[in-house]
Amino acid sequence: MRAALRDMAQAKRIPFEIGKIYLDEDAEKDWVAQTLIRNLSGVPVETIRDKRFLIKQFLGKPDPLSAGKKNILITRFYGRRLKSCPGTSRHICCGYHVINVITNCPMDCSYCVLQGYLNNPLLTVYSNWDDLLEEIDAFLSSGPHALLRLGTGELSDSLALDSVLPVSQILVPFFAARKNAVLELKTKSAEIDHLLSLDHGGRTVVSWSLNPLKMIREEERRTASLDERMEAARKCQEKGYLLGFHFDPIIDHEGWERGYEETISFLFRRIDPRGVAWISLGGFRYPPQLKAIARERFPNTRIFLGELFPGRDAKFRYLQEIRVEMYRKLVGWLREADPDLFIYLCMESEEVWNRVFGWSPTNSAHLNRLFEERLRGFLRA
Amino acid sequence: MKTIRMISLRQIDLSDETFSVNFLADLQSLRSSIQEIGLIQPVILREKGDRYQIVCGFRRIRVLGELQSPEAASRMVRENDVEEFKLFSLALHENLTTRGFNAVEKALALDKLIHYFRIDPTVAIRTYLPLLSLETNEKILKTFLSLARMEDEVKRYVVKEEVSRSNIRRLAAFNTEERKAVLSLISCLKLGENRLKEILTLLEEIAQRDQCLLKEIVDRPELHAIVSHKELTPSQRTDRVKTALMNLRFPRMHQLEEGFEQKKKELDLPPGVSLHHDLHFEGKRLKMEFHFETLEEYQSLLAELFTLPEKKAFQKMLEEEN
Repeated sequence: MRAALRDMAQAKRIPFEIGKIYLDEDAEKDWVAQTLIRNLSGVPVETIRDKRFLIKQFLGKPDPLSAGKKNILITRFYGRRLKSCPGTSRHICCGYHVINVITNCPMDCSYCVLQGYLNNPLLTVYSNWDDLLEEIDAFLSSGPHALLRLGTGELSDSLALDSVLPVSQILVPFFAARKNAVLELKTKSAEIDHLLSLDHGGRTVVSWSLNPLKMIREEERRTASLDERMEAARKCQEKGYLLGFHFDPIIDHEGWERGYEETISFLFRRIDPRGVAWISLGGFRYPPQLKAIARERFPNTRIFLGELFPGRDAKFRYLQEIRVEMYRKLVGWLREADPDLFIYLCMESEEVWNRVFGWSPTNSAHLNRLFEERLRGFLRA
Repeated sequence: MKTIRMISLRQIDLSDETFSVNFLADLQSLRSSIQEIGLIQPVILREKGDRYQIVCGFRRIRVLGELQSPEAASRMVRENDVEEFKLFSLALHENLTTRGFNAVEKALALDKLIHYFRIDPTVAIRTYLPLLSLETNEKILKTFLSLARMEDEVKRYVVKEEVSRSNIRRLAAFNTEERKAVLSLISCLKLGENRLKEILTLLEEIAQRDQCLLKEIVDRPELHAIVSHKELTPSQRTDRVKTALMNLRFPRMHQLEEGFEQKKKELDLPPGVSLHHDLHFEGKRLKMEFHFETLEEYQSLLAELFTLPEKKAFQKMLEEEN
């Protein structure tokens, strides 16, 4: 594992501004810390004893989140780092598992729920990876007959830092050797260079969050352009990776129909739909505390101007009528590209599923089984 | 400054407000006190050329003038004896110990400290925010500095209605014209903290979404009709304005509400029966409530409700589009 990192091709320049690395003295000897510091050789490093004091200092800044995104904290994580995706209450979820490798994200999307969720604003890399891999191993050994889906894209972007901290070089081969799991690397970046030379054994799905050009430009700061994402996806498909796409959050904005139709059409001009493992659809939704935070950080954002109301899980969502209309249209355009695409709704009710597809998974476990069947089909092939 | 002298009011420059942060000063109790027992505490004046500048005692001198008193007991400061900033600080402390400041006066004090006396903002945050009983952070300083720059009529509204800091920030996000337009609407409503927040947010979001001026929204005929309706109480007017703005902000929801009300009307439900849709139309569930007092009323209601399934309007309502 260490050798893989040592042999890593010359580190690219990170596409984000990093002002400083704060190195927790407990993490000093970890190879993850050493790799990251080596690859960011121009960035000053300060060794710290008390990370709680550092976090408190950042929380006292006028915009802790913006400041935190430009500074890396390398520390150890002593709790569980593999968890069931929390999903949302009283809605159908997909039985996903979340691996916590990095928390926070150098990208800055105005709709990002992490803004109201994390109590540590720093871009935080957990350096005790040996523990993490052991934890994943133990978890997978406990359910040898299932086909589990695990991903690193919940509390950060899976690949945003891959040019300086090649998480993929460790996790992709690790999952290639597992029979009962698939790894999903979910990103808005185009950082896929390290992936291309890896033996993934068909056990890694590389997926991209997609939105129309206008939304990427206005609401997804410091992310790769749509064209760069598509090109990266094309290269991954060429190397045999399964792909995933997430139209999530779908944002109701002026010209949304044309925007999403063009995005889908653009997608399938580059990508063979037969190699797409799944596509998710999820209307923009947010916990109540997000609006004030995001509006303060991005006064010109237009994401809150739709007709959003609190739902059964207290999160704000578009009026059901609007969501159903958006989902139906997107499903129609996607099915035009390939009627066999596996499309699912993220955090939606049975009623919405029924209105969009004419059927619904009976519960989250049922949806999970459908994913398993879908993946087994690819793995058999 | 120890000696007390009687100074003629004519020698005092009332237009010089260098040391004043007064705004909407309540002079009633001070007037009664001076009328009753005269000036207890001498004012502080600073020599300036052949006239005097008021350092402490703007309200007292105003009352004395109103009461046509020819002179005021004063302590004097020579023109170059004490720096202006120290005198301003003295005035702040004197006022704070005797009466306290309203929000606009705090704003004016901070504005003078930063923009006239050129105090570093970090010093203002550390030293003067706590002095004014405010939390020590940049956001608070910015809030009050923005208030100091608002129009006098808006400032009066802020003081009179005790507008909260978050709503001051909302008002600060508008330009002068927008603020005046908003004020013309909100000043005739009965708004607490939350209602004001709702109204300002609705206005702001409609304007941002439709890329129009706030004045265009405020001038809409439906809002004008409500505001100029003389029979309405302020609280009825407030409810109606809020509903009108909600309808503008959420047109699809408004359409659904109207459709539902129309269908309900067609059902011709008996009196005492109400029908409700799922919250925000998130589900298709309907909820029916009815009230009765006697057994007869109960039986009669049930008999009428029993015939509901035969009504086409009811069937249509339940066969909602899927």
